[in-house]
Amino acid sequence: MVKESSYSDHIEQLLEQWRMRPGIVGRLSAVNHKDIGRRYIFSGFMFFLLAGIAALLMRIQLMYPENTFLNADQYNRLFTTHGMTMMFLFAVPIMLGVGIYFVPLMVGARDVAFPKLNAFGYYLYLFSGAILWISLFIGAGPDGGWFAYPPLTATRYTPSYGMDVYTALVNGTEVSSLIAATEIIITFFKLRAPGMAINRIPLFVWAMLVTSVMVIFAMPSVMVATTELMLDRGISTNFFNPNLGGNPLLWQHLFWFFGHPEVYIIFVPALGMVSEILATFSRRATVGYPLLVISLVAIGVFSFGLWVHHMFTTGLPNLSLSVFTVASMVISIPSGIQIFSALATLWHGKLNMKTPLFYVLGFIFTFVIGGITGVMVASVPFDSQVHDSYFVVAHLHYVLIGGAVFPLLGAMYYWFPKLSGRMMSERLGRWNFWLTIIGFNVAFFPMHISGLNGMPRRVYTYLPGMGWDTLNFISTVGALILAAGVFLFVLNVITSLRRGERAPDNPWGGGTLEWAASSPPQPYNFARLPVVSSRYPLWDAPSAAGAYTFAENTSRRETLGTSTLDADPEMRVYLPGSSITPFLTAAASLLLLISLMFNLYAVIASSILILVMLAVWHWPRGKDRSMEWIKSGPPEALPVSITVTGKKPPVYYGALLFVTIEAVEFLAFIASYFYLRSATNDWPPGDLEFPRLILPTLATLVMIISILPTYLGDQAIKKNNQRGLVINLILTVMLEITFLILMIYHMGSLSYRWEDNAYATLYWVLTLTHMIFAGIMVLENLYILIQSLLGFYNAERHWGVEVDGLSSYFVAVAWVAIYFTVFLSPYLIQ
Amino acid sequence: MNWLKRYRYAGAAFFLSSLLSACTAAPISPANMPSMLEPQGPAAARLAELWWLMFGLGALIFLLVVALMFAALSRGRRAGADSAADSRGGDEGRKWVIRGGILLPMIVIAVTFGYSIYTLAVVENAPGDPAVHINVTGRRWWWEVNYPVEGITTANEIHIPVGKPVQINLESADVIHSFWVPELHGKMDLVPTRLNSIIIQADQPGVYRGQCAEFCGLQHAHMGFLVIAESNEAYEEWKSAQVQPAQSPADELAADGQDVFVSQGCVFCHTVRGLEDKPVDRSAIDLGPDLTHLASRQTIAGASLTANTGNLAGWVSDAQHVKPGALMPNTYINAQDLQALLAYLMSLR
Repeated sequence: MVKESSYSDHIEQLLEQWRMRPGIVGRLSAVNHKDIGRRYIFSGFMFFLLAGIAALLMRIQLMYPENTFLNADQYNRLFTTHGMTMMFLFAVPIMLGVGIYFVPLMVGARDVAFPKLNAFGYYLYLFSGAILWISLFIGAGPDGGWFAYPPLTATRYTPSYGMDVYTALVNGTEVSSLIAATEIIITFFKLRAPGMAINRIPLFVWAMLVTSVMVIFAMPSVMVATTELMLDRGISTNFFNPNLGGNPLLWQHLFWFFGHPEVYIIFVPALGMVSEILATFSRRATVGYPLLVISLVAIGVFSFGLWVHHMFTTGLPNLSLSVFTVASMVISIPSGIQIFSALATLWHGKLNMKTPLFYVLGFIFTFVIGGITGVMVASVPFDSQVHDSYFVVAHLHYVLIGGAVFPLLGAMYYWFPKLSGRMMSERLGRWNFWLTIIGFNVAFFPMHISGLNGMPRRVYTYLPGMGWDTLNFISTVGALILAAGVFLFVLNVITSLRRGERAPDNPWGGGTLEWAASSPPQPYNFARLPVVSSRYPLWDAPSAAGAYTFAENTSRRETLGTSTLDADPEMRVYLPGSSITPFLTAAASLLLLISLMFNLYAVIASSILILVMLAVWHWPRGKDRSMEWIKSGPPEALPVSITVTGKKPPVYYGALLFVTIEAVEFLAFIASYFYLRSATNDWPPGDLEFPRLILPTLATLVMIISILPTYLGDQAIKKNNQRGLVINLILTVMLEITFLILMIYHMGSLSYRWEDNAYATLYWVLTLTHMIFAGIMVLENLYILIQSLLGFYNAERHWGVEVDGLSSYFVAVAWVAIYFTVFLSPYLIQ
Repeated sequence: MNWLKRYRYAGAAFFLSSLLSACTAAPISPANMPSMLEPQGPAAARLAELWWLMFGLGALIFLLVVALMFAALSRGRRAGADSAADSRGGDEGRKWVIRGGILLPMIVIAVTFGYSIYTLAVVENAPGDPAVHINVTGRRWWWEVNYPVEGITTANEIHIPVGKPVQINLESADVIHSFWVPELHGKMDLVPTRLNSIIIQADQPGVYRGQCAEFCGLQHAHMGFLVIAESNEAYEEWKSAQVQPAQSPADELAADGQDVFVSQGCVFCHTVRGLEDKPVDRSAIDLGPDLTHLASRQTIAGASLTANTGNLAGWVSDAQHVKPGALMPNTYINAQDLQALLAYLMSLR
């Protein structure tokens, strides 16, 4: 009896710690992954509906030749907004949102690794999306296509604010995607339930890992591209200006290096959903787990090797094009593995024919067509005919709707009980399924033929008598049927939320851990954590679902940290509770995004505001200053992540990922340099002087030397030498400031400015970008210095210093790369 | 904001307005259906072959997968879902996955890649040197066509001799465009900073429609052109007519029209060879088409209107209605001047 009552006390304490606070401020302060994940999914669907309405308007316009329902300007803004919304605001965020909600549940964790950051990412996404749609409604929506090819999107040809909205929005959403990806990666590696070794991780979680890693490498590329476009438009740099040494194809390379993986970032999570649904509704393990994991990873890797297949008609040499043909076709092998594994699972399964499984069948049927046309468009000669025609419109919708939206809808039916505690209607589900799949095929299959008949994409109207009239009419009818199907889905969600049958914990008899939590899960997911000894723990050992008694401090939020490969318990990860700071910081970021479109001073002001918010965010308060409180817990408890020794806490890996993202961004800038440089033998162009080396070389030496005190400070605090840390931090800051002074002096002495030509643009932008990073580094070190003076760090609590040191090292290494590129390469490469 | 107001009327209103506007659309189709499936030249013929090969293979695979899916469904449904879930027999179907998921795609890739490379080689290395070189410059939203050897400049209409390879050099004056005549060849982009080219050949005399395939702004949809393949004699005849400067106006009305053409400032953007006594510097402006032989062309306004006096009147006086956003401004002149101007323009044969 005593044990029982202590258990219910335990539950009560957990609930008190984890529940959402009441009121609007309480809601905005929520950081729990389920609240954030649910909001991602909801917002994603809202954007999906909006973009769908945009698509319907376009289809009505194209119903007849020479239709005047929309004019050219409206049509162009609508198709741009449709593409941007579907790619940036629906597909990627909703997939990541499903991951944010379900990955912790499926690996038996209580939350993601960095809940406050997670909340910040969501609000940033929401605000960016709001900017786009508000701008559309006030008539300033972007009109240069979601691919935004310069020079069309340069100020000269598109002077309106539309493309400024584009550059701001893309940067906002991509930062939020990077944050969500970081959460998922760290949760995957560090927060799994005891015993969930790397070969027992659910396939959906694997898929989310692959997607997140792809996000880390793909998004920085488009952020650099849009930043360059923003600078071209805002301060007349010349990255893409063909008249002054820039090159429009640079944009295409950077954009598609992101844009092609983007498709797989959307598709890979869907494959994971398919694997989960198949296992549950075939009542058996998905066939070929190792093959499936390898194929997911292979898709992730290959997808970075085929961006040029969007550029087959730009006149690049045939040899390189053929290489990309092979790369594009080879990706059909891992896709084939997925399809045939699905078929084998169905064949050997005991099928429970429910709506989620119907959607998987719809996925197989539709995606195979998209995959086949995908191999076709990978062929350079054939692509020269169908590129930028309606054939490609058909292909991409077969891949994205068939390959991603159908599995997503299936997953919504599958996981709805876990999201809401209720079941969706099976009867409406069937109607919904048949209408969407029939409507989809009626809408998009004819587009293959209109494309082969010569109809180009992105035309707001067409002349009659070209052989396109009937096909377009059929497509529009199909689109309306599809819309009816989507409407039934919305109806089903609304009615099921209100009157749906109450869901038991495991309504479908699933085998993965999310079904061990209640429907909907308690805010803390699991009171006792599960122990995992197989891939489908609930099938093999249902009793193990609550087998691990987590010795925790229930007066705050904690989750279990485990080892990367075998998931052995390592530490208690101390998680932050509710906080309004992420919301406020996102609001400050919104100000920055808006300022970027209008005014440099506003940019500076809002940047300062963000820095202030970040300091407030990280400033340790109240009990967090007390080492006793930090370390407190039951006697048998594991060490707390903040003071763990011998193992690295999640925050360290998070910082490593952050540095990786920055590194990819610098690489994209450096790639821009050498791409533009390779187009000419006249470098620096005309009679521009070669880079003067004395000050930059001196600055480089200072920067390299700054590594030393950073390292020494880190070592000092590990030995509890607080004075040593302070002295070394002061040295680091002084060296970094010296670096900045030297470089500011050097840049001030230049005889040319960024507007002059592409060389000058690269010189200024690469150097200044790094100087901004170095400036932020100074502020970061000053913050650590203040905390050190306040005695915050000691031998036990030193990870903050180490993480700060990682950034310092990175800034030094990045500068060496910039120094080589901007200052030495003009001498070395003649 | 105005256009948003129209969206208030959902459902039926959409249909109604679409239906109504369909009735007002005038049929103007100066060429056949531009289908890549009805190739009219050697390159397009090879590309169509490649398509049919890939289509056949693709259809086979699709049927195979769908057949397997239904077979698996009927087998799996008979198994009955009530029994306990089976998490152990994970690898019963692995053979399937390896055969269907790895071997099958590899065979398909080998065939399609091999045939693609073969097609690419055949299409790119056309036998014999091009008989004619033509420079085509993409502009918003029309095509400037220039025969450098003969010194001919025209617009939206490319005349080529039938049965001979013709090299088209592609340049852009502003944004990226793409040159596409589906019946003759695949497309090639016109990228500022690049000099691209494509070799086309028509086997039969005829008019083949082309269109810009890269989104290039407001009037991307109305950036068409015609490739007119004709017998050698007809082609030579056309050339010798085109090299001539414009004839002086034959009647008084046309002469008045010429005055209107000059006084209204048309000459700032449009060249009429033979009209100018001194050269006009047009380097700083967005050019309009050369009008020296306007009336000899089949279409106007980027191949979106048949060239006749009525359409030309509409185009000259209200270009912004015909092609909203076009760089051609509306012309505000009285009816008398418009008659004269039209007479002059239609005399430019």
